Amino acid sequence: MQTLDEVSVGAPATKSGLRLLLLPLVILAGMGLSVEAGLLGPLGVQVGHLWATLSIFGVGSAILFLLLLFAGPQKGPALTDLPRWQLIGGFLGPMYVVVLTLATPHIGIAMTMIAILSGQVGKSVLIDHFGWFGATRKKVNAERWLALGLIVVALVLIARG
Amino acid sequence: MSLVILLAVVVLAGAVLSVQAAINGRLGESVGVLRSSLLTFVVGAVSTGLLILFFEPAHAVSLLDVPKWQLTGALFGVVYMMVMVGAVPVVGTAVATVAVIVGQLGMGMLIDNFGWLGNPAIELSSSRILAMVCLGLALVFMYRSSRRVG
Repeated sequence: MQTLDEVSVGAPATKSGLRLLLLPLVILAGMGLSVEAGLLGPLGVQVGHLWATLSIFGVGSAILFLLLLFAGPQKGPALTDLPRWQLIGGFLGPMYVVVLTLATPHIGIAMTMIAILSGQVGKSVLIDHFGWFGATRKKVNAERWLALGLIVVALVLIARG
Repeated sequence: MSLVILLAVVVLAGAVLSVQAAINGRLGESVGVLRSSLLTFVVGAVSTGLLILFFEPAHAVSLLDVPKWQLTGALFGVVYMMVMVGAVPVVGTAVATVAVIVGQLGMGMLIDNFGWLGNPAIELSSSRILAMVCLGLALVFMYRSSRRVG
């Protein structure tokens, strides 16, 4: 699964030679996301979209469980101690993966990724500007509107083929 | 399904993903990335399993019948997550995000163009290249605006 917003929680950049070493690795990780989407489309056509989605979440759960068991942190609050609303993220992931398996055979992987990205950008710009879902209303500057406009143009170009 | 409706659905999925990331970001801060991801994946697997049991029609081919390499998609997602956890504090959010998108789109275009992994080949047309250019410019504006705020 690809979650750009999760990345924005990170710390500020530090300058070191490590940066240059890590950069190709990050690009490779991004390439991996397209490979994942590329595997999903044909798989969904063969075994069904929900089964393809289950393969992602089933295998992912198993790997993460093993990682957590053998290499994960020992301490920290239990999931049962947290507010329940923080736990609902898991219901949203499958929607995204199902849509991936549906879309990639028809519009291709690169274009699916652009559409996903425009959804992510559009959501943040519109929610900030209109204060939807109880968010505080913030003025969205011209550059972000311009960015959103360009992404819409990109989508129109894809739709026209 | 018409192309426009399909595109709208994919854009909507991006928005949903963004909401999920916001919720998970909060969760990850308190319990750690591994635990929050495991929760996301387990809830995802269980809810998809329920949907399959009650709504999915029978298919001639099952997950056990397809070549094993077709089932490796989840590995790429987990590796991505691990790389990001390690790299973002070093290279910074903006650079990491742009690098991911470059990798995604570059690989996406390669898979599309050559029809790798059993995908239908979609030739790299001029309008597709123009769409990429627009997106590149959009990213530049996004980061200029977020830098000014930060």
